[in-house]
Amino acid sequence: MATNGRRQLVEDDEDIIDVDDSSLMNNQANYAWEEEYKRSWDVLQEDEHGSLAGVVNSLQQAAKRKRLLRDTDPIQRGIIRHLFIIIDLSKAMQEKDLRPSRLSLTFTYLEAFIAEFFDQNPISQIGLVGTKDGLAEKLTELSGNPTEHIRALKLKKFQETGGEPSLQNALEMARSSLVHVPAHGSREILVIMGSLTTTDPGNIHDTITQLTQDNIRASVIALAAEVQVLKVLTMQTKGTFGVAMNEGHYRDLLFEVIPPTAVTTTKSASNLVQMGFPSRSNDSAATLCACHGKLTLGGYICPRCNAKLCDIPTECDICTLTLVSSPLLARSYHHLFPVENFIEVAWKDAAATSQCFSCQKLFLNPHKISPQLQSTTDAGRYQCKLCEQTFCADCDVFIHDVLHNCPGCLSQPRRKTGSALNPGAGSSRT
Amino acid sequence: MKDISTSEDDSNLLVMVIDTNPFEWEHPSAPLKLNEALQHILAFMNAHLAGRHDNKLAVIASHVGVSKFLYPTPNEPIPGGKALTKKDANAYQNFKVVDDAVLEGIKRLLADPKPTLEEKDLGSSKIAASLSLGLCYINQTLKLDALGHIKPRMLVLTVSPDSSSDYIPIMNCIFSAQKANIPIDVCKIWGEDAVFLQQAAHITEGIYMRPNDPRGLLQVLMFSFLPDMFARNYLYLPGQDQVDFRAACFCHKKIVDIGFVCSVCLSIFCSFSPVCSTCRTKFAFQPLLNPARRLGAKSGASNPGSPRPSTPTTPSQ
Repeated sequence: MATNGRRQLVEDDEDIIDVDDSSLMNNQANYAWEEEYKRSWDVLQEDEHGSLAGVVNSLQQAAKRKRLLRDTDPIQRGIIRHLFIIIDLSKAMQEKDLRPSRLSLTFTYLEAFIAEFFDQNPISQIGLVGTKDGLAEKLTELSGNPTEHIRALKLKKFQETGGEPSLQNALEMARSSLVHVPAHGSREILVIMGSLTTTDPGNIHDTITQLTQDNIRASVIALAAEVQVLKVLTMQTKGTFGVAMNEGHYRDLLFEVIPPTAVTTTKSASNLVQMGFPSRSNDSAATLCACHGKLTLGGYICPRCNAKLCDIPTECDICTLTLVSSPLLARSYHHLFPVENFIEVAWKDAAATSQCFSCQKLFLNPHKISPQLQSTTDAGRYQCKLCEQTFCADCDVFIHDVLHNCPGCLSQPRRKTGSALNPGAGSSRT
Repeated sequence: MKDISTSEDDSNLLVMVIDTNPFEWEHPSAPLKLNEALQHILAFMNAHLAGRHDNKLAVIASHVGVSKFLYPTPNEPIPGGKALTKKDANAYQNFKVVDDAVLEGIKRLLADPKPTLEEKDLGSSKIAASLSLGLCYINQTLKLDALGHIKPRMLVLTVSPDSSSDYIPIMNCIFSAQKANIPIDVCKIWGEDAVFLQQAAHITEGIYMRPNDPRGLLQVLMFSFLPDMFARNYLYLPGQDQVDFRAACFCHKKIVDIGFVCSVCLSIFCSFSPVCSTCRTKFAFQPLLNPARRLGAKSGASNPGSPRPSTPTTPSQ
């Protein structure tokens, strides 16, 4: 990088500049060293008063909103998900390039990931597999209970590392559990790989072909560098591949797996799944529960076999009926009816609104901001296309990340035509 | 839910949602008129502000077809109205500002040309919109608060029944409030139980109450809804033990114990049907019928599980 810059200053050669420009114009998929040398510090420019506050603000806002622009088509998504997480427990994970070490950071992020995953996908299931010394070991079975997985992650014995990982063994182990999953659920594997090598008993491409045939989607997060075999795995199974550049980027890559992805093929049959809605019973005397065999005072009664279970969502241990409650299903609705992305309002249209519709915060007055500052900062106003109300940046982030409702669209009288806000017209739930 | 650490130094932010649906308030069978109820509500708001010097309040009106902030007043130019209320030497200014803003706002809402009855079907009182506005306001206030001592909560005073198409937005609000540890209290002044709001109060650990006599509204508000988050650790407040979380099927609206859930759109049905009525997905196969039904079936009854005879039976005599 440094020699490139110096050469440009000294020689000003036609060839070098041409090569750089053409590679920029072709596509963005080149390697980073082939692109034109970027001087990232040039973005920070002082305004006329010599302060950087405005530019820093706009950079922060841009970073916040970058995470938000996501796919908002109301399309079919796999809501009932079965995800296996394969964790690399080899010696390479002891590297300290991600603080405090790749392994401990992975485990910390995984605990947060599991909590958030079950928050967004309440009727899904996760299983954990670790691989080290050329073998694969199942840490937890496929289950919908987050505390079980988090407890397994905290156990010391699962945090020992050593040897080389075995990609094929881990994939085979995950695959053997996933084939028993009924067809209406989506089957996914997430591989977190810190090493650049793998020791396999057979041909990995056979495994990859098998995974494709079984409709299993494998995604990979590599912590070291891009490895060809992992890239082929994700391309053939239509998963995503990412290499973590730093801790923040690693977290972002990990949390991108949480929202359900679109269903690509119609081969995955959609079915009516039989589910039970148990009611809670509070007994005066303690009785045994069916899941742990412990004496408890209250619990949920399975409607099919009348067994008592401690917690939902779960699968009844006696009759294997999936037990949920209606608020749990309601947690997933916002994936099916997402909020539209808000568009940014330009400075020239900014004078029309003075405060945020939902939180009453005052916007910056365009008459008081100099044109030079206006070119570097946002107007801070974001408008919803459907209801044409403007919101501030904080409300924008809150509405899209947490609330999933646009207050402007809700505050308007509903239109008679069926819109995304009125899905089951004429149907009600209690 | 996580334990919220409360201390007696916390200031409280109370966001009130007042349902001003004129169709319900001016119904001939209403036991309480809106202006009488407002006297109770204003006294309650003053009591909350009097509790601590830094208690904060926000009031949102939930009207037919629209939902608006009453206090803090949005900076709109008031057509033909006084810009500032006259300062009254006999009234405590904090109370007077809030009371005047709320009364002025409700008067303006009700003075708008009345929505016609068709619109009433389109949107009964917009509880979901008001809850969303309140949550955004709370989010903004918490962000601006540097010390972290503000404890927010919401109180909904409602008279309207549930509107079925509000189910998904209300559930979204409930889950956001649960994540942020904001309890949603509900006071159903009169009328039938509002099931969505019952679930809201249960999930967010708030209080749901329906007073026995609506004319005693102020007493109910003062005793059940006034204590703040810190005091709630030590009080045994009225509530409900059992909330029915069982779902109602989409086809008949009856409560189901075991239902069939479409894996695409998550709608619930009581019996199998080959096509989902909400998302029009065709389903792959039929499950086997109950053995009891098969045993009781007479000859010639349709039984999809078993193979049909190839030759059609001749009509019997």
